[in-house]
Amino acid sequence: MLTYLDNNATTRVAPEVLAAMRPFLEDEYFNPSSAYESARGASDAIGAARRAVAAALGGVAADEVLFTSCATESLNAALFGAVRANAARRHVVTSAVEHPAVLEVCKDLARDGLEVEFLPVDRAGRIDPRALVRAVRPDTLIVALMHANNETGVVFPIADLARLTKEIDPSVLFLTDATQTMGKLPLDLTGELAAVDLLAFSGHKLHAPKGVGALFVRRGARVRPFMVGGHQESGRRAGTENVASIVALGTAVELAQRTHAADETRVRRLRDRLEEGLLARLPCVEVNGAGAERLPNTLNLSVHFIEGEGMLFELNRHGICASSGSACTSGSLEPSHVLRAMHVPFTAVHGSIRFSFSRYNADEDVDRVLAAFPDIVGGLRRLSPYWDPAHDRPRPEAEPMMRG
Amino acid sequence: MAWEYSEKTKQIFMDAVQGKPGTHLGEIEDADGFGEHGSIACGDALRFTFRVERHAADPLQDRIVEARYLTFGCTSAIAASEALCTLIESGGYSPVGALKITNHDIVEFLEGLPEQKIHCSVMGAEALEAAVFNWAQKRGVDLEALGIDLHAEDKEEGRIVCQCFTLSEPYIKRKIKELRLKTIAEITGAIKAGGACTSCHHKPGGLQDLLDEVWGRKATSFVPLPEFPAPRERAAAAGVAAATGRPVLSPFQFAKQVEQALDQYVRPQLRRDGGDLELVDVKDTSIFIQLKGACAGCPNSTQTMKLMVERTLKEMVDERIRVVAV
Repeated sequence: MLTYLDNNATTRVAPEVLAAMRPFLEDEYFNPSSAYESARGASDAIGAARRAVAAALGGVAADEVLFTSCATESLNAALFGAVRANAARRHVVTSAVEHPAVLEVCKDLARDGLEVEFLPVDRAGRIDPRALVRAVRPDTLIVALMHANNETGVVFPIADLARLTKEIDPSVLFLTDATQTMGKLPLDLTGELAAVDLLAFSGHKLHAPKGVGALFVRRGARVRPFMVGGHQESGRRAGTENVASIVALGTAVELAQRTHAADETRVRRLRDRLEEGLLARLPCVEVNGAGAERLPNTLNLSVHFIEGEGMLFELNRHGICASSGSACTSGSLEPSHVLRAMHVPFTAVHGSIRFSFSRYNADEDVDRVLAAFPDIVGGLRRLSPYWDPAHDRPRPEAEPMMRG
Repeated sequence: MAWEYSEKTKQIFMDAVQGKPGTHLGEIEDADGFGEHGSIACGDALRFTFRVERHAADPLQDRIVEARYLTFGCTSAIAASEALCTLIESGGYSPVGALKITNHDIVEFLEGLPEQKIHCSVMGAEALEAAVFNWAQKRGVDLEALGIDLHAEDKEEGRIVCQCFTLSEPYIKRKIKELRLKTIAEITGAIKAGGACTSCHHKPGGLQDLLDEVWGRKATSFVPLPEFPAPRERAAAAGVAAATGRPVLSPFQFAKQVEQALDQYVRPQLRRDGGDLELVDVKDTSIFIQLKGACAGCPNSTQTMKLMVERTLKEMVDERIRVVAV
């Protein structure tokens, strides 16, 4: 029995979604661009999926929705496409805590000679709107800010930030990465989020399979196509459509619309139970993003004086899947750029652990973590040169380090 | 990322976390040898202690009878610490004899380590060296007279190549030779150098140049990506009036920015270690500083801090800034 609490990394495919996509891997294998009658099913299914996504985004026009292969592609297409369509503007504003799909693209743009401003965040992971106002200049092309952070779940007030951007200069494009919020928070692009020009997300965070994503491009937003070489998606994203996965995405979005309200209440209760339970059982732990608005499904906890990989290893032995922002799990030797931007002290930045829930989690999952995790932390802290296991507290000389 | 540890590494880690009998968790009080390596900021740290059975007449015949560790770090860091203690205790070594144990022995004992985790075994070997050095001081043994050079001093001396982990040219070059490191990836795996911001990989005097120097190879044909310029550097460059070469900022504004950068980025780091810094003067783009508190008067920290302060101010305020420690 596996306790899967890594839903910000990916989610399991919903049975309803799998059932909906299956025909397009079997009998309805046709190319939706083909002329014969048999191909009409595939073509119609893509249309239905597009309308489903458009409806979920607050009733935008269907032709404002492009299907892509993932959120990373959507974000690349938005940023590079905007740059190529607006040669006169050479300044980009983003934040220090974006997903690499934005951060690394922005760094690449800087290599091409654009100027990029990375807005800082505070200790709770929040952005200061005044910093955004000061950052936008007459030659600013685009502001790219994520809706919710994948590591901490901290939600940026995107509606306000997009409005503010347009107040300064209506021709500045506003892009938001909604990968962690699609299906979890309302995305009303004709109402509250009317100032957002570009919005990206992927399917596999909301129970569709990997390999499909979408990009909303508001009518009139100047963006050149990223993939060229075919008439698909009205020539704005060439390449034969991934029919089955697009159908899956449409179904997953509809499913999320239907179940969202009930899921949110349940998932939030599970997350809060885990959070309160762990805080009550463990000294010297802190919730990253505490004090900010956070996604209801995410708990990012820093355990002072131990390292994240050992925790993951031990959780794995207990059949619990989670993730960590520690250097040893990042593939680089640097710990999470998000936690460092939040100035999380070094005693805690290597000991971060993220539990992220989905609608498929239940109370038993929380019970299992609550039963296993305190002993795991205790075992690793006994080995730590900074911990006094006899009194279950930091050694006196290590204590000041916690304050960073 | 899935774990690519050997079964033995995993078993040793699990036994250690559960504190099974025969594991070596702990710290010996009044140890005969005490050595540390790494820091919590860098992501792993090892405190290694041993006790000897003293030989009445000849300290060189002291025998290590007990070895203990405390480790902050990942699965392999903890397993490597266990391996080190087991190897030492089972060998019946004298402290000088124990120096024969290398990081390769630790890797072998663990039945292999992933390339990017080799630094965990190096950390074990370094802590052992430090502990033997400490033992020699306590027992009045002149290691140098025995022809043993523990290079204890060269880690902080010399030009810093990897700013992120504060690793100097002599240290990296020595490790390239000792550990027969042939690629940048191997260097990063063994001693972490170049593992964070990666800017030292291909810049002049960077890791590739050190590899070429040590192994006598011609520079590779690799074309590095242009370096990502920090926004302030460009802003500063753009803000210079070409004719005069002076900053557009007034001297007051410039000093204010320096003061802010020191407050925001430098002072919090110094204060963590009980130190502080005073801004003495700003003359054009030269910044005069004085270290205070625990940092004052420590020759190593003066050089390291000057570099750290300078790097921060270059990045945050103006790339032409020069820092002078008063």
